Amino acid sequence: MGLKAYLYDIWEAVATTAKGMRITARYGMDPRETITLEYPEERWEPSERFRGFLYNDIKKCTSCTLCVRVCPVDCISLEAVRGADKKMVLASYDIDIGRCMYCGLCVEVCPPKSLKHTSGYEKASVDRGGLILHFVHEDAGEIKARVAKQVAEAAAKAEAEKAAKAAEEPSASGATPDDGSNEAPAGQPASPPAAAVNPARGGAAEKTPAEGAKEEGGKPEEPPKKGGVETP
Amino acid sequence: MLESLAISIVNAVPVLSGVPLWTITLLIMVVVAAIVLTFAMVYSGLATYVERKVAGDIQARVGPNRVGPVGLLQFLADGIKLLLKEDIIPAKADRFLFVLAPYLVFVGSFAAFVVVPFGVGLIASDLNIGIYYVMAITSLVVVGVMLAGWSSNNKWALLGGMRAAAQIVSYEIPVGMALLPAVLIAGSLSLQDIVRSQGGLFGIFGWNLFHNPFTFFSFFLYYVAALAETNRTPFDIPEAESELVSGYHVEYSGIRFAFFFLAEYGDMFIVSALAAACFLGGWHVPFLDAEALPAAWGNLFSLGVFLTKTLGLVLVMMWIRWTLPRLRVDQLMRMAWKYLVPLTFFNLLGVSLWLLLFHGKGIPQMMASFIG
Repeated sequence: MGLKAYLYDIWEAVATTAKGMRITARYGMDPRETITLEYPEERWEPSERFRGFLYNDIKKCTSCTLCVRVCPVDCISLEAVRGADKKMVLASYDIDIGRCMYCGLCVEVCPPKSLKHTSGYEKASVDRGGLILHFVHEDAGEIKARVAKQVAEAAAKAEAEKAAKAAEEPSASGATPDDGSNEAPAGQPASPPAAAVNPARGGAAEKTPAEGAKEEGGKPEEPPKKGGVETP
Repeated sequence: MLESLAISIVNAVPVLSGVPLWTITLLIMVVVAAIVLTFAMVYSGLATYVERKVAGDIQARVGPNRVGPVGLLQFLADGIKLLLKEDIIPAKADRFLFVLAPYLVFVGSFAAFVVVPFGVGLIASDLNIGIYYVMAITSLVVVGVMLAGWSSNNKWALLGGMRAAAQIVSYEIPVGMALLPAVLIAGSLSLQDIVRSQGGLFGIFGWNLFHNPFTFFSFFLYYVAALAETNRTPFDIPEAESELVSGYHVEYSGIRFAFFFLAEYGDMFIVSALAAACFLGGWHVPFLDAEALPAAWGNLFSLGVFLTKTLGLVLVMMWIRWTLPRLRVDQLMRMAWKYLVPLTFFNLLGVSLWLLLFHGKGIPQMMASFIG
């Protein structure tokens, strides 16, 4: 190695060191280069379409159970009973966010757009039960009992009305068989008298809570469709 | 110096006249040692904090900021943690040497504080062989490091200890050779004399750094070689965490580990203090002669100046550490023997010839004599 190469080596060492130290000095002095976000005190603003924890607005929810069926990890569970006014009443709506993978399918599929992603992402719990979000705060059993009572009251009222009508128009009373009520209106809509529809509905609603609290999500959904056909 | 202080105390306080002089001298010595040691400990603690802050800044992070205001008390928390940690001695270790090693390293590093010229009169002991003493006592660190590596009975520790020994012994030569120009100019080994030789009316041009071109390079050669002697990145092959876990102190925990750590920061200070004293004019600043001030103010002022210079150099060391990657073992040895040793010898020759030819005058002095 000649003297020239030797001196060049030294020059290169000095020059590259100076270059590196200039860069680190810039990083060291410039406060804008600090990228650390001091998390508990400051947070990033989540983006607009951020998929955080799910939130269900139970006032809008129709208990259609589409979310339950679309969920790939089965983290949503739902219980509903048919109320006195034919609408489904939510008895419980739970989302296990410990299992949720934030795919957003349930939000996309929700017909009344009651299920939404919030911007929340902070939750910690000492047991897995703490990670289940309950959206219906009342006890499911109480709701069912209350709805069943309302339905029974409505049915009793209808029965009383029917009895009163039957007393007024004895001729129409014989033409309304209880079992055939589901088939008959579908075949000939709008024709049966109002009195014939009421007891049938009351009977169906009375059955639902009796059939068991742990019903499949699909089952309570079917009656509303028929009901929908029935009403016009 | 301490004895004269003792005599003056006895003269001032007549009650003490019955007490033998040596007891008072000893007491003063203990007090001075305690002050220096306290300073060294506090400096080391704060230096660890600053080091972490510098590292954070350079790496676009924040650094410690939880304990106390802006994390200032972090070093206390670390110290308490280290004190409370379990003291583990490996089963197959050589117990006596294992226990001894940290003290050797610590003593080797902190005994050098004795001759650091903090100010006009602020020096624990103005030895007439000051530089020589520092070179000699810091070599004790090698022994401690090798003992630590050997007694741990661990392959990483042994490798680290051996590397440290090779490195420190190699770099001792360029360090000594790079310091000699300052000794030549001052004509004394005492650090106070060297600092005084850099005074005068030339401002910063009285400093050895600007005495002549050779001393200018000498400063940088010294700084690089000394950086290697403190075993710090980019020359930290004895610790090399990517290869050796953490080198010679891998088996140490708790307060024994803290001793190694404190010694490293103590070394940084010694090295920077020597650089400041030998090349940057020590406690001299332009246009203000600390020696001419009243004793108390002069000492305080010169202490501030000296610490500013020294801690500035320590900061540069940290800056270098977080900039450069680690050298390989062979690169490190090549740098010492192929580059630093010849260059420092060349520099020493140059300075000697300069002093011979120009009768000990530096460039600023010659220019001053030209003008006026």
